[in-house]
Amino acid sequence: MTDAAIRIEGVRKTFGPKVAVDELSLIVPRGSLCGFIGPNGAGKTTTIRMIMSIIFPDSGSIRVLGKGSALESKDRIGYLPEERGLYKKMKVGAFLAYVAQLKGINASEASKRAASWLQRVELGGVINKRCEELSKGMQQKVQFIAAVIHEPELIILDEVFSGLDPMNRRLMRDLIDEQHRAGRTVIFSTHAMFEAEQLCDQIFMIHQGRKMLDGPLTDVLDQFDTRSLVVETQSDEGVQQLREVEGVAEVITGKDRGADKRAVQVLLREGENAQRALARIASTVAVKRIEVRRVTLEEVFLEVVRRSGGGEVDERLLAGFAVSSGEGGES
Amino acid sequence: MNRTLLIAIREFKAVVFTKGFVLGILLTPVMVLVGVLAVKLIPEAPEMKVKVALIDQSGVTSDFARKRFGSEGAQAEAQRAAAEMTRQIDQATGQMGLNGPAVDAAKSQMQSTAAMVTGGAKSIALEVLDPSSNVDELKNQVKNAQVGLGAPQLMAVVVVPKEAVSGPLVEGKWPEHQVFIHPKLDFQIASIINRRMGDAIVDARITSDPRFSGAQLSPEAVRATFARPDPTPQALGREGDKPSMGAVQMIVPFAMMILLMLSVMTGGQYLMTALVEEKSNRVMEVLLSAVSPMQLMTGKIIGMMCVALLILTIYGGAGIAGLIVANLVDLIETSKLIWLAIFFFCAFFTIASMMAAVGAAVNDIREAQTFLTPVMLTVMLPWLMVMPISRAPNSTFATVLSFVPVMNPFVSVIRLGGSEPVPTWQLAVSAVIGVLTAFVTAWIAAKIFRIGVLMYGKPPNFTTLIRWVRMA
Repeated sequence: MTDAAIRIEGVRKTFGPKVAVDELSLIVPRGSLCGFIGPNGAGKTTTIRMIMSIIFPDSGSIRVLGKGSALESKDRIGYLPEERGLYKKMKVGAFLAYVAQLKGINASEASKRAASWLQRVELGGVINKRCEELSKGMQQKVQFIAAVIHEPELIILDEVFSGLDPMNRRLMRDLIDEQHRAGRTVIFSTHAMFEAEQLCDQIFMIHQGRKMLDGPLTDVLDQFDTRSLVVETQSDEGVQQLREVEGVAEVITGKDRGADKRAVQVLLREGENAQRALARIASTVAVKRIEVRRVTLEEVFLEVVRRSGGGEVDERLLAGFAVSSGEGGES
Repeated sequence: MNRTLLIAIREFKAVVFTKGFVLGILLTPVMVLVGVLAVKLIPEAPEMKVKVALIDQSGVTSDFARKRFGSEGAQAEAQRAAAEMTRQIDQATGQMGLNGPAVDAAKSQMQSTAAMVTGGAKSIALEVLDPSSNVDELKNQVKNAQVGLGAPQLMAVVVVPKEAVSGPLVEGKWPEHQVFIHPKLDFQIASIINRRMGDAIVDARITSDPRFSGAQLSPEAVRATFARPDPTPQALGREGDKPSMGAVQMIVPFAMMILLMLSVMTGGQYLMTALVEEKSNRVMEVLLSAVSPMQLMTGKIIGMMCVALLILTIYGGAGIAGLIVANLVDLIETSKLIWLAIFFFCAFFTIASMMAAVGAAVNDIREAQTFLTPVMLTVMLPWLMVMPISRAPNSTFATVLSFVPVMNPFVSVIRLGGSEPVPTWQLAVSAVIGVLTAFVTAWIAAKIFRIGVLMYGKPPNFTTLIRWVRMA
């Protein structure tokens, strides 16, 4: 029991006739870095708010850091909500110190930590500026500091990458990774699949209030076999030869072949083993490069949404998908 | 530090340490004081030199007019006006033997003002013309006069017909004299000319009337006979008869009611505005990750209550200081101040809870108006009934109203300042109702607050609020 930072069992939450979260159960291991994904309106923010005891479930139980609710361990939790803001007229340093004090840090220590954190994120010069004078990226950094200034054991970040430019996304990624390496449990919801895939060691996904995926990231990705290869031939004739190789169902060229424009995508027939097909192609066609196409988290996301009938997904994006381990990978 | 207290301190500082608050609340009384002093310090405008032409067709008015416009007449007129002012001040303060410096200063100020207004215009020169003078020509002269500070200009023409003094009366009224003035003649000078001529004509009528002259009655004696007596009523009390305080006794209920409303409504408004602002700033959920909704709401209410108390202390303190200076401190009793404090807390927590619920539920101030109307009506109703309640504080109407939740603190405060002492048990019951109302309102507000504070988008209606209360 003690190895779980968060333990959710059979939680259900409705708002009037709408079921926001339906019989959700999951465990977030201590020290893990979890990505919480799902389409808009899936129930991610509602789940996070229930974890934070900002709202309460209609049924089921939530234990946070071994306690009956987050209310009993608020000072050990850092939270960056999706709907986040700052006191516009307040000075940046004063705001951070105020939030730290609300989290149980004494006044002098809170001011010291605020100054130190601002230096770390290269915002030392804005400590006496009003929050409204900061750019959006700067405000995001300040909001992140507000979530971690009290050195919590559990950090919950809701849509942490939204609205950030590539530079700030990288900075935020580094900051999250740093917190994780310091031994803290981090859970973040996001639509940024690239960041999630790069950062997470655990992933769980909900859709229409129900859990669709849950487990270590590698396990989740392994559940999905793309049944396709990426091949870069030495000549154009090679592409024609690919179509004649045994086990090849289709060779996708042109704009639909994926991000790698030098290569084509080879879809295999159902039941075909990717390793054997790879060997056959290598022996019959002159290729510069050949590899089993690795499924991305984004593709997994889109596939899960498509199967649950909850969204409009371009079939081409899912070309060659097959699942090796049953429906949706629910665990 | 306790988190609720931490929130309260931030809220208090966020309101009080702003230019808007300092200008709006602290500087307003200072500005009024400065304004009053400034009026005193404004240098008097140089007097206009004016000539008045009198065409006395009655033949008996001109002598009296000369007296009235002469220096002795002007002086006597100033003394009379000053005496009348003093009498009115004495009556207003109840002639209670209260000789505070403020009362003395007020009397002195009024006397000098009266003297200035009545006798100050010494440069009004009267010129009595031949009764057969051409009135039209004189009117033209007045019309073309140059208004300035040089030699006296003809600014007015007065024509007193014979009938204005000797009659006969037309439909029971004396025929009137005519006064023609320059359009830019100072209104005070015009008024002085009119009054002096009127007095001169009355003097002439009395002197010409054989009923008075036969009895050797002078105009002063006749005027004294007709002066209406106006004694100050004596209020009968245990400590002996005291001059009735008249309208002065209305100051206290009015002041207490205004103070209570001003502080409660201002504090409540600040609370609601701050909540709406925080909601639109999206800072609410950040706070809720550190404190519970109840802690957040309570902290905010306490912070704004301190703001309201500050307002109450500033204005109430200034009022009490004013009464001490005016030697009218007898109007206030310590027990009443204690009751005022109790009812302040009841009223503030009730109204602030309502404001917190409204602020948390809406997306902007515009949407808040729908919910504020019933709150404002509840608060305004007692205000509209100040007169009947304070004049009969123990009437059934006032007593029942002081037990009606939400408005009871306001009604009780008016009753406290009323003309009769209110039974203590009734005040106590009202206070208990006030405390219970505050608790129930805070409980309902907390439920609305918890849900509303995280709701964005479609503005809620009353049905939605009721649903939220049931849900939370």
